[in-house]
Amino acid sequence: MSDALFLNLVLVIAGATAAILIARKFHFSSIPLLILFGIMIGPHAPHGAWFDLRLVEHTESIQMMSRLGILLLLFYLGLEFSATRVIERGTTILKGGGIYVALNFVRGLALGWLLFQSWPAMLAIAGITTVSSSAVVTKLLVEFKRTANPETELILGIMVFEDAFMAVFLSALSGFFLTKGTSPLVGIVAGVVTVAFILGILFLGRRLSKLLDSLLSFRSGEPLIMLVFSLLLIMAYFAEELGVAEAVAALLLGLVLAETSHSKRIIQLVTPLRDLFGAVFFFSFGMEIDCRQFAPVATYTLVAVAATVVGNYFTGLLSAWISGYRGRAATNVACSLMSRGEFAVITAGIAGVAIADYPLPALAALYILLLAVISPITAKKSRWIHTISIKAWTLFARKKAGSAAC
Amino acid sequence: MSPLGTIKEAELPGLGKKYFAQLESGDRFVVVIYDEGNRELFYLPPGEDEPTCSVMLTDQEARQIGSIIGGAFYQPKVLEKLEAAVAELHIEWLKISPDSEVAGKSIGELGVRKKYGVTIVAVIEQTEKGKKRTAAINPGPSYVFTPGQTIIVAGRRDSLELFERMVTGEGG
Repeated sequence: MSDALFLNLVLVIAGATAAILIARKFHFSSIPLLILFGIMIGPHAPHGAWFDLRLVEHTESIQMMSRLGILLLLFYLGLEFSATRVIERGTTILKGGGIYVALNFVRGLALGWLLFQSWPAMLAIAGITTVSSSAVVTKLLVEFKRTANPETELILGIMVFEDAFMAVFLSALSGFFLTKGTSPLVGIVAGVVTVAFILGILFLGRRLSKLLDSLLSFRSGEPLIMLVFSLLLIMAYFAEELGVAEAVAALLLGLVLAETSHSKRIIQLVTPLRDLFGAVFFFSFGMEIDCRQFAPVATYTLVAVAATVVGNYFTGLLSAWISGYRGRAATNVACSLMSRGEFAVITAGIAGVAIADYPLPALAALYILLLAVISPITAKKSRWIHTISIKAWTLFARKKAGSAAC
Repeated sequence: MSPLGTIKEAELPGLGKKYFAQLESGDRFVVVIYDEGNRELFYLPPGEDEPTCSVMLTDQEARQIGSIIGGAFYQPKVLEKLEAAVAELHIEWLKISPDSEVAGKSIGELGVRKKYGVTIVAVIEQTEKGKKRTAAINPGPSYVFTPGQTIIVAGRRDSLELFERMVTGEGG
């Protein structure tokens, strides 16, 4: 490897590290900052006659690391997910979470159609705007000392539900985009086939879990992580050959390994890898965005942000109400779920390659950046929002009563 | 409200576990154990759903304070004999008297588990001035008892009583 190439890698990692350190220092979520840093020193960075911020290039090695990053992110998603965990949440949370995700998804689809009037873009926008960032939400809960509150169980239950939904949605989406979106029908068929394929593998995985258990029972971590990582790469390679997106293959492997008794250990071993390569993925996602793209997508983004905040507020209230939470607890649920993050970027990453006509990466970046600023505020001010909405409601009710009296 | 107070357990996926305790006084108390090891304690006054104060402990702090609350360092004067009962399980703290039968004998020699059906959880050494109190946790069969030590022993009530008489030197 030449020195220049190596220096490039050093700069990328240093940039990503700086973003994460700054995010930590200011209690800000790290993903939007990683993207922002990628934009600021990437190949499309602002440059002029007397200054040039284009410090790093999108070399092949960075692309490779970023590709591993998305594979590991999805592998981890599959690994952490377990069907029994969703069922164990109990029926109330099942109901609340299901309604929350379903309504948000419909809202996302409607928003996508409203903005772009095209099938692929509609699905992509729905994927970007539906699901909250569990990392940010849990961080906010801990920071605002809300973990002891009764509604926290529902909020975290919704997170589990969202992850499950996203696992299915991302597989369907990548199936859809693998057909290059030739027609909606072909795409939907491909999506359905992918989901069916996954369910088949899952069924097989349950059968295989005993075999895998004995295959993976190593005393030390070294052979385990090597074997798991090679399996991941092999699956990803052959997935492309078989006509399934490699992201789906990674997810699938995660789902299968989650059924084995080693899942906790694998999670522990994979987490640092996911953090490292995931950071490079988010950073390189930013490197591909030209900051001049922000101006044309600004209106779209603002509409999407407004729709998300308002939509989330009402779906959150509704799902809290259905799960039996009233008053301030319900408002807390509604105001805690505003942030967006990893899933928005992953969706934009998968969709952005397939449909280059729309500036989806720039939109997603600006969108999560804005929500990263808004979500801590709504979460913190939920008490104030609650009082305001009560006042507004009584005022409205009184006016109605007054007009009826006339 | 039950007189003893109730403890409810809830899972917080991605975060850890939550224990909700309703105290006799009407106050409520929540302990959250985070997956990364920290414990957070919350206090909720009666009728409130949100905590008014909280404190965060590291894993080690939590363990130390937990054993202080449990009475490992200092036993309250009111309770001469500390006794914790969970269903059938009883845990007793027994001080070995100088004329005890067990003094100078090892756990294996006495056949504690076989003959009495009780388990020695730990043995706390006698405190001497200027010395830190040490404890032998889960001592092996070759461990020899000496007078002045405190034995923490678990078992059924009837088998414990038998063992207790021997340790404290009252007949048997």
